[in-house]
This record gives sequence, C-alpha cells and structure tokens, in this order.
Amino acid sequence: MVHTLKEEDLKGDMAFNAKPRKFVVWLFVVSSTIMFGGLTSYYIVFAASKGKGHGLVLPDVFIYSTAILIASSICLFLASKALQKANFTSQKLFLWGTLVLGGVFGYLQVDAWSTLFHTGAAFVNNNAAISMIYVVSGLHLLHIFAGFCFVLSSLIGAYTGLSLEKSKFRMEIASIFWHFIDILWIYLYVFLLLNS
Amino acid sequence: MSTISLHDTHNHDNHDDHGHHKETFLTKYVFSQDHKMIAKQFLITGIIMAVIAMGLSILFRLQLAWPDKDFPILETFLGKWAEGGRIKPDFYLALVTIHGTIMVFFVLTAGLSGTFSNLLIPLQIGARDMASPFLNMLSYWFFFAACVIMMSSFFIQTGPASAGWTVYPPLSALPTAISGSGLGMTLWLISMVLFVASSLMGGINYVSTILNMRTKGMDLWKMPLTIWAFFLTAILGVLSFPVLVAGVVLLIFDRSFGTSFYLSDIVMGTQILPNEGGSPILWQHLFWFLGHPEVYIVIMPAMGLSSEIMSVNARKPIFGYHAMIYSLIGITILSFIVWGHHMFVTGMNPLLGGVFMITTLIIAVPSAVKTFNWLATLWRGNIRFTPAMLFAIGMVSFFISGGLTGIFLGNASLDINLHDTYFVVAHFHLVMGSAAIFGMLAGVYHYFPKMFGRLMSSKLGYLHFWITFACAYLVFFPLHFLGLDGVPRRYYAFTEFEFMQKWVTVNILVTWAAIIAALAQVAFLFNFFYSIFKGKVSSQNPWGANTLEWTTPVERIHGNWPGEIPTVYRWPYDYSKPGADADFIPQTVPFSQTMGSNMPHDFEGNTESERIQREWEEANPSSDASK
Repeated sequence: MVHTLKEEDLKGDMAFNAKPRKFVVWLFVVSSTIMFGGLTSYYIVFAASKGKGHGLVLPDVFIYSTAILIASSICLFLASKALQKANFTSQKLFLWGTLVLGGVFGYLQVDAWSTLFHTGAAFVNNNAAISMIYVVSGLHLLHIFAGFCFVLSSLIGAYTGLSLEKSKFRMEIASIFWHFIDILWIYLYVFLLLNS
Repeated sequence: MSTISLHDTHNHDNHDDHGHHKETFLTKYVFSQDHKMIAKQFLITGIIMAVIAMGLSILFRLQLAWPDKDFPILETFLGKWAEGGRIKPDFYLALVTIHGTIMVFFVLTAGLSGTFSNLLIPLQIGARDMASPFLNMLSYWFFFAACVIMMSSFFIQTGPASAGWTVYPPLSALPTAISGSGLGMTLWLISMVLFVASSLMGGINYVSTILNMRTKGMDLWKMPLTIWAFFLTAILGVLSFPVLVAGVVLLIFDRSFGTSFYLSDIVMGTQILPNEGGSPILWQHLFWFLGHPEVYIVIMPAMGLSSEIMSVNARKPIFGYHAMIYSLIGITILSFIVWGHHMFVTGMNPLLGGVFMITTLIIAVPSAVKTFNWLATLWRGNIRFTPAMLFAIGMVSFFISGGLTGIFLGNASLDINLHDTYFVVAHFHLVMGSAAIFGMLAGVYHYFPKMFGRLMSSKLGYLHFWITFACAYLVFFPLHFLGLDGVPRRYYAFTEFEFMQKWVTVNILVTWAAIIAALAQVAFLFNFFYSIFKGKVSSQNPWGANTLEWTTPVERIHGNWPGEIPTVYRWPYDYSKPGADADFIPQTVPFSQTMGSNMPHDFEGNTESERIQREWEEANPSSDASK
C-alpha cells in the first residue's frame, strides 16, 4: 500500500489552510493585550501607591491622531468590502488610504511627544506615570509598524495578483490586526485620560 | 488494525517516491520547517545548555564545599575570575544567576516544551505539521540567538549578569552597582527579550495547532495527556510571558535612559541618584506574575510525559483520565493568582498575604489528585521497567518530596523564617528542577525511536537513572536542614558566620554528590549521541503504545504519514482491556474490530452502537465468559 500512495493525497492535506494561521494572529492579539494590561496595571498600582497620576492635560494632538486612526480602520474595512465584491481597484485605493492614514498617525504621535517634551513632561522623569505615557504610546507605535507591514503585504498581494483565497487571507489578518491596534489605542487614550 | 499493517516499515523505497522538492543540507538540517527536525534542534541545544548550566553549578558547589581551598586549575580556565584558584565573589554571583537562568528558561522551558511540543503535537493529534511551520522555525532561531547572547556574556570584561535569575532592581537597574550589572545585565535582558519572542511564537503555534488541526475523530477528550499538558502549558506561556516583556521594557528604560520606574532614593557611595518615585516592588509583581506560571510551564509538560509513559509501561489505562485533565486545568488557572507567595517579606499587607497563602495551598489539591492518580496507575500494573518508566516514576518521587515542602513555604508565617534560605533552594530544585528534568529524560528515552529511528541502550539508561536519582536526593535533601537552620541562599562565604560553620561538612557531601551526578550524565550523553548513529534500529511501535505517533513510519518523512492521516476512534489508554487480543488497542482501531472487548461506556450513550454490541454479544455468548 505504501508504494502506491498518491502525491495528491499529501498535497490535499498539506494545502494552504487559512484557519489555523488566522488563529495564530488572534492569539498574538491576546498576548499583546496582556502586555499592555501589564503596563497599565503597573500604572494603576503606581498611581494608587503614590497618590498621583501623570497629572497632565494630554496634548490635543492625541485627539486628532485618534480620529485619524479610526478613519484608517474605516478605510481598511472598505478595502476588505471591496475585495469581497472583487472590486480590486477600490481595494487598492482603500489600502493605500489605510497606509497613508497610518503614516499620518505615526507622525502625529511623534508630534504629541514633542509637545509633551516642550511643556516639560520629558520621558526621563521622576514621575514614572509620565514616562509611562511615552512607553505605552511608543510600544503601540511599534504595533502600528507591524500592522503597517500586514497592510503592505495585502497591498503587494493585490498588485502581484495573488490567488483570491490567499489575498482574502492576507486581508483578513491585516484587518484583525489593524482593528485591534485601533481599539488598543482608544483603550490606552481613554485610560490615560481617566487616570490623570 | 488495518492502518498499522498498511505502513509496513520495511519498505524503504517509498521515501523518495512521494516526490517532495529536493531538500538541501541547509533546508533540511539548519533552516528546517519540519516540526520533527525543529524538535531535535531544540533538544540538542537544550542538552548543550543543560551541560553548561550543570558545569556552572559544579563550580559554585566547589566554593561552597571548600571555601578555603585553592584549585589552581580554575585559574587556568577562568583567568582573573578565579585568581589564585579561588572563585571571586562577583563571579560566584554570576554563576548562580546564569545557572538559574539557563536551567529555568533555556533547558526546562525551551528544551522541554520546545522539544516535545514540537515533536508530539502534530504526531499525536494527527497533523502534517504545525499551524505555521515558518513561525516554528523562527521560534527555534530566536531561541538559538538568545542562547548565544546569554553565553557571550562570559566573554566580556565585566562578566555575566549577577543579580540572580529574578534580576531584582535596584541591583539589576544600576549599571554601576556590581560588575555584573553592567554589560552582562544588558546582554541578559536582550537575550530574554529574544527568548520571550521565541516562546510566544512557539506557544501560539502549539495552541493554534491543537485547536485547529486535529485529525478526524480526535476530539479534545480523546487527546493523550501529553497533548493536554502541552496545550495548557502553551496557554500559560501566551498569557504570562507578555507581562515579563512589559517588566523588562521598563527595566531597560531604567538602566539605559534614566527613568524611575523601579528606582527611588538611592545613594551610591557618596553620590545621591536623581531617580525618585519608582518602586522595586513593582518589578517583583510583574516578574512573578510571569515567574509563578513559569514554574508550571516547566513542570506540566513533564507531568504529561510521565502520565503517558507510566500508562504505556504499566500496561494499564491512566487512572482518572478526566481528573488528570481537570487538575491540569485547575493548576493552570490557579497559577495566575498565587504570585504573591514569592513576596511575603516585601512588606505586603498581611490580609493580602493571607489571600495568596490560601490560593497557594489550594494548588496542593490538583497536585495531589495527579500524584494519587499516578500511584493508582502503577498499582497492580504489569510494569515494564524501561529507563523511560524509571525516570517517570522518579519524576513522581521528586514531585512528592519537593511538593510537600511547598506546603511549608506557602504559609506566610513560616515563609518569614524560611524565605531566601536553602530550604527554598531544596524545595524548588526537587519539585521543579529534578522532577521536570526527570520528566524530560523520560521523554527522551521514550521518544528517542520516534526522533532517530533507533533505540537507546537500556543498560546505560539504568546506570544513568540510578546514579542520578540517588545523587539528586543526596544533593537536595540535606539542603532542607541548612535552610531550617537559617543558612541563606546566594551567600558566597557563609562560613564567615560562626553558627553556619558546622554545615561545611554537609556541603562537602552535597558537592561530592553533585560531582558524581554530573559524571553520571556522561553515560547519558554517550548513550544519546552514540545511539543516534549506532543504536539498535527500532521497530515501528517499540513500546506497544496506542497513540498516533507510533502509526507513522520509522523513517520520519516530511508530512508524517505517507498516505492519508489515520482516523481516531477511541481514547489513547486502552491497555490490557479485558477480552482484547493484545494488551493494547491503538487509537486507530474502530470498535467494530474489537467486539469482544467493548464496554458499555465506550459508546458514550450512542444507542445504535449499543444495540449492535448487544446483538453481537447475544450471537457470541462464549466471549462473555472472558469478561
């Protein structure tokens, strides 16, 4: 029996299977959430034991960057809608839109840091709560970079004419990740607003 | 039985037939994406790291046993770290730190989970490979890079990290505090970041594979206990390692950028440091939120392996399969709410200490359930004392004797006396050190044929087991008494205190036992590497086991099964079932082929099957007599 095995049998089983890989992205989302959970619980314990938070009025730029990030999420949502309708032109357009908005978000975050720095709330600070603003927004920005790469791979897939199955897969993992970092930033921003 | 006979293992010529693209040396042995090869890479790297860490322990044991004696040979090897043949205090601290770090993370986390999760998850659940083979490969190479960076700290002027494996600030946060807090500590942190990345990639892969890629018929309650253990271990890792990352990131900022997350009011010599407002206790919270689940990450795979090996070699179903799983789940959940028991002496609110004490002591319940189930599995079994079986039994022995002292240490009031003494060292070296390493060795002896297609020598295995077993007790048991007498751990020259001088003789015994145990490992290393090339060729199912990995051909092909993946019909522990022809029934055998041995509960309430079984029994009354 062993001699007659069909190569197709093996191929059938070894074929591209999106479900477990998507699950991998979800699990990464979970562990990343835990990491930010660790940092914000540091903040809560710190603030409770010292009786003070960062005590700042957060720069307005954070409001704009939040709006930009939400817009980018909407853009990505429209891109995946377009892909479902097999409308590749608008898919590419919306993916470009997501990338540009993501880039603007990154710029605004750095701008917010420089505002903070110029108002005297530097990263190296005897109030660890202020340093924490930089740490959480910085680590979030790293996630934005990773999400940027996911969106980019989806865009490259759209240009190189990947099979529909694979481009849907790339689109889906980009969506899972990008919407996650969108929600994550809203959580962090609200957290910092509430625990000043 | 058809599936078994189908894969006749003597047909070597099938290997090239089922045309994979040609593999080069680089893609087959180095950047391999085959889970079995990655498992071997993890195992061999783990063994090398274990030998290094064991060597470090012998070095500091020499200092503890003969504090006033010179060993000129040490200077030859260690240079200025052992000037005049005596290990320097700074280097002593580096030795204990790196010994702990390597053993806990590199050997018992990556070496154990990395090896056996990678090897067994696809093989035992019936999958071609992991969910993401690429991520799996990356996981190994991140681990390898972490090992290299950790070892490179032995080659720098200021030496390796020296703040203990828990790297508490402020010692770890101030680069000028001791020589090991300089570049060595930086390398330690970089290495750990890579290590955590590796663990996360591995763990995420394991969870996704187990949940999504099981073969037909393999529902969660038909999985071997090994898979349950790896699954819950991976979940623990995914949920706890990110918190360590959070803590490490803050520590890096404190060290290199001057923030004050963990630092406050510090005077170095005559200089007052500017840092204010931070708290070193917060590091302990973040560290132990990982650190405590980490000890279960270490022990649970060993538990799973031992359960499987004991059931196979006792030729009996595992006692209390469901109870075993529920106790693993219980341990997993409880492990997240006990971290405070490492911090009873940090000035913790006694009420909070009481809460952590209660949650800690509750862990004794699932642990005891597991222990009694192992003993009940052995009870009146038809035991085959293979080396793997001996190591599995050894694991249970260490888990009991080390676990009992956990009940002492879990009590906040007792811990105030015992904290940071050799009692703690004795406790965790037995319950998680020795027990986990014995579980790992049991796995190596048992699954060696699955990795290399050959058998290890049993005689050398017995020699290895008995010497290691006896010496491990000789090393760690006496340490309890040092601890009860108040001898603190990590002290370089404890003989400076008069009341501790009487313990020097005990330390000499311990060091000799450690040296003999280390020599016994030579038997293992020789056996391991010799058998890879010259061992007796294994049959397909050398231990007569039920699980799926033994239905794969001995040649270990990419994709695991040459034909279709077998379907699973039954749980993995049908050993010595009354009425069956053989004393084991593989998971791939349907109930229709074993009518004489089917039990009413096998059908899980399926009335149609029960009816067929009843009719068969009425037609074959003679077979009932055998039940």
